[in-house]
Amino acid sequence: MSYYEVDSILTDAQKLPCTFELDVPGLGILEGNPGENIKAGTRIDLPLWLGEMLSIGARLGTSRLVTLDIPSALSERVMNALKADPRTVDLRALAPNYYRLSERVLELFEEEEMVDTLSNTFKKRAAEIADHAHNPKGALGDGVEFLRGLDETERQLFRVAHDSAKETRIWAGEAKKR
Amino acid sequence: MEIDDILASVDHGDISSPESTALDHQLLTRFWVAERSVPELLPWPGRLMDRMMERVRQQIETIEDLAAASSEYTSTTTTGQGASTNTSTSTSTSTATLKLSILQTDLSRTQYLLRSLLRQRLSKLTKHSMHYLLLSTATPHAPAPPPSSASSFASESKQIQPEDSIPTPLNPPPPHCPLSASEIAFLHTHQTLLARHFGSSFLSSFPPQLRRLDDNAGGTSMLQGPDAKEAVFVRCLAEEVGIVAPPEPGDGIEEEVVGGTMRMGDVWVVRWEAVRGAWERGDVEIL
Amino acid sequence: MAFPLQRGITPPEISFLAEMEMVTIVPRQRLEGLELLGGPVEPLVPPRRTTVPLWLASLLKRQRRANILPPPWLHPESLSLILDIETQHQDYQHAFSPPPPLPGQPRLRDRGRKPNARPRYTPEGQRYYPTPPFLPQNVAQDQSFDNGEPPTLPFHWLEVGTMLLDVASDDVVDPDQTRRLLKELREVRSAKIRSGVDVLDVAAVAGGGVALTGVGAMEIGEGRGFIGGVVDGLRRIGASKEQARREQLAAAANGEYDATQDYDDDMEF
Repeated sequence: MSYYEVDSILTDAQKLPCTFELDVPGLGILEGNPGENIKAGTRIDLPLWLGEMLSIGARLGTSRLVTLDIPSALSERVMNALKADPRTVDLRALAPNYYRLSERVLELFEEEEMVDTLSNTFKKRAAEIADHAHNPKGALGDGVEFLRGLDETERQLFRVAHDSAKETRIWAGEAKKR
Repeated sequence: MEIDDILASVDHGDISSPESTALDHQLLTRFWVAERSVPELLPWPGRLMDRMMERVRQQIETIEDLAAASSEYTSTTTTGQGASTNTSTSTSTSTATLKLSILQTDLSRTQYLLRSLLRQRLSKLTKHSMHYLLLSTATPHAPAPPPSSASSFASESKQIQPEDSIPTPLNPPPPHCPLSASEIAFLHTHQTLLARHFGSSFLSSFPPQLRRLDDNAGGTSMLQGPDAKEAVFVRCLAEEVGIVAPPEPGDGIEEEVVGGTMRMGDVWVVRWEAVRGAWERGDVEIL
Repeated sequence: MAFPLQRGITPPEISFLAEMEMVTIVPRQRLEGLELLGGPVEPLVPPRRTTVPLWLASLLKRQRRANILPPPWLHPESLSLILDIETQHQDYQHAFSPPPPLPGQPRLRDRGRKPNARPRYTPEGQRYYPTPPFLPQNVAQDQSFDNGEPPTLPFHWLEVGTMLLDVASDDVVDPDQTRRLLKELREVRSAKIRSGVDVLDVAAVAGGGVALTGVGAMEIGEGRGFIGGVVDGLRRIGASKEQARREQLAAAANGEYDATQDYDDDMEF
C-alpha cells in the first residue's frame, strides 16, 4: 500500500466477501440498516481496508469478528477461464485494478496455484499487448476488444510500450511529432 | 591517439592533463546514464563535479577570449584591408570560426549532461522528498508523540503545524547522505514551503494530530521511498558478478544470498538492489 | 512533483550518447589540435586519417571539411552476414548475435578462454572499465574482417548506422542496400525482444535476472519501459513466494540444494 498512489487507494476500496462470526450491536449500517445489529453468519461485501481490519483477530487466532473470502474476480471459475485462454477474459469487467486486487488477496490467502495462474496470465497478455502497442496503425479487429478488457496495470503497460515505440519511430524519422 | 593510451597515461595522474579531462568526461557520462536509469538517488560525486565545474568555467573563458580575438581580427582586417581581402586571411578567419564552433558545441554538450543530471536528481528528490530529507539527518526518524493532556491541547493545537514534521538537516551531513550540500538546502526549503502551503490551504483546518506529513497511523506510512526492487539494465564489466538478494527485514535470513551469475560483457535485466553493491565497486555499469 | 522526468535515457539522449562514439575521418583541411571538455582532439592534417567523436565528424562532414570512413560492420556484406546469424543460426534463434568483446574478454573463437578484465582507476581510486561509447567499436579498419571472426554489431549500431547514413551517405558503400539491411535487422531483433516476455519471470524473483547480451542501446531504450513494467508486475504478483525463494537460495549457499543451476546459462532470449 502506497500512501500517495491513486491506484493503490482505489484498490483499497475494492470489495471482499466477509462473513460475521459474532453478533455486533449497532453495526447494521454496513447492511444499510442504521441502528440495527449485525447477526452472526451475515455475509456482506466490505471494502478491502475495512474487511482486512475486522479480520485481524481471525488471523491472530483470537476472537474472530469476520472471516474473509476470495472475491468472485478471483474465483475458481475465473481461474479456469484464465488457464484455458488468458487473452479472452475481460479483466477490466472483473475489477479495474485486477492485478493489484490479486496482490492484496494473495497477501491474505496462501494460494500458490493462483500465483502461477496469474503470473502466466500476465505474461501471455503482456506479449499480446506488446504486439498491439508496436503496431503503428493501432488496434484492429479482435485487438480492440482485447485492449478494452485490459486492467489498469495492463493499460499502463500498453501506454509505455506504445509511447516508447512511437518515440523511437520519431527519432528514426519514420513518424512525425504529434 | 588510442583511447587505451589516453586512459593508460592517466591512472592517478595529473588532474589538469587532457587525459584526465577525457577520463572525467567518461565518468560523468556513465554517471549520468546511471542516474537517469536507477530508481533511487545515487551518491553525489562531489569531487568529479568540482573538477567538471572548474573545467567548464575555464573553457568558457577560453571561448570568450577566442571570440573576442576573432571579432577584433575580423574588424581590423575589414577596416585595414578594405575590399582587397586575400585568401589566406579569409581561410584563417574561417578556421577560427570553425574552431570556435567546435569548442562551443563541445561546451554545450557538457552543459547538457550536467543539466540533465541535476534535473534528474531534483526529480527524484521532490518525488520522495521526506525520505531524502531524513537521509540528511543522522538519527532514525520517530514522529513526535501526539498531544497528550487535555490542558495543553488548546495551546498546542494552534502551534502544531505541518512544517513541524520536517526534520532539520545536519550540518555537516551524515557520511552516507547521497545529497550534495545545495541539494539538501534546496530540499529543506522546498519541503518547508510545501508544508506551509498545505497548512494554509487545508491542513490547518484539520485536527492537530492529523496535520503531520510523516504520520504512519493505520499501518500506512506517509514516508515513501524509492523502490529498490525495480528492474534495471546492466552490463557486467568484471569477470563474474553475482546477482544478490539482500536481506529482507523480518524474513529470518540475515545475510545476503546470491542467485544467478553474470559474466563479463553480458547485459542483464535485474533488480537494482541486486547489483547496487557491484555498481558501487565499478563491476557493472547501468545502461 | 515539480520536475517529472521519465526513468531511463530517451531516444534523443541515446543518440546524443552514440555521438560520443569515435569514428575515422579523412580531413580535407588543416586544424590545430584542440583541448575539449570531452578530451583532446588531434590536429587535422589532410589526408592523414584520424579518429574523432561522431558529433565532431558530422559537424566537419556537413561543412565538407572531412570525409568519414565507415566502420567495417556498416557494409552490406557484414550486415548480411549478421542478419544470417540473427535469423538462421541455431544458437541465436532467441538471442541476439554476439556483441564485440570488451577489452580483455576472449573473442568468440576463443570461447572457453578465461576473461581477464583489467580495470583502470579513477582519481577517486574506483575501478573503471571503459565501455561503449568509449571503445573503438566504430573506427575504420584496414581489412573488413578480422581473419575468420564474424562481424559483430556494436552497442550503438542503430544510432551510428542511422546517423552516418543521414550525414555521410556518400561515404557509405551502397547506402540503399545498407539502409534496407539495418531496417531488417531492427525488425528481426525487435520481434525477439517481444517474444522474450515468456522468460521474464526469471528476472522477477530475488537473485534472478534475464540475459539480453548483444542488445543495442536504442533497443534498450525502446524496450525499457515495457520490460521493466512486466518484470515489476510479475514480481508483485509473485511477492508471496519471495520468502520461500530466498530460503531456497540460502539453502543452496549452504550446499543443501543446488538452485543456482537454473540460473546459469539457458535464460537468454
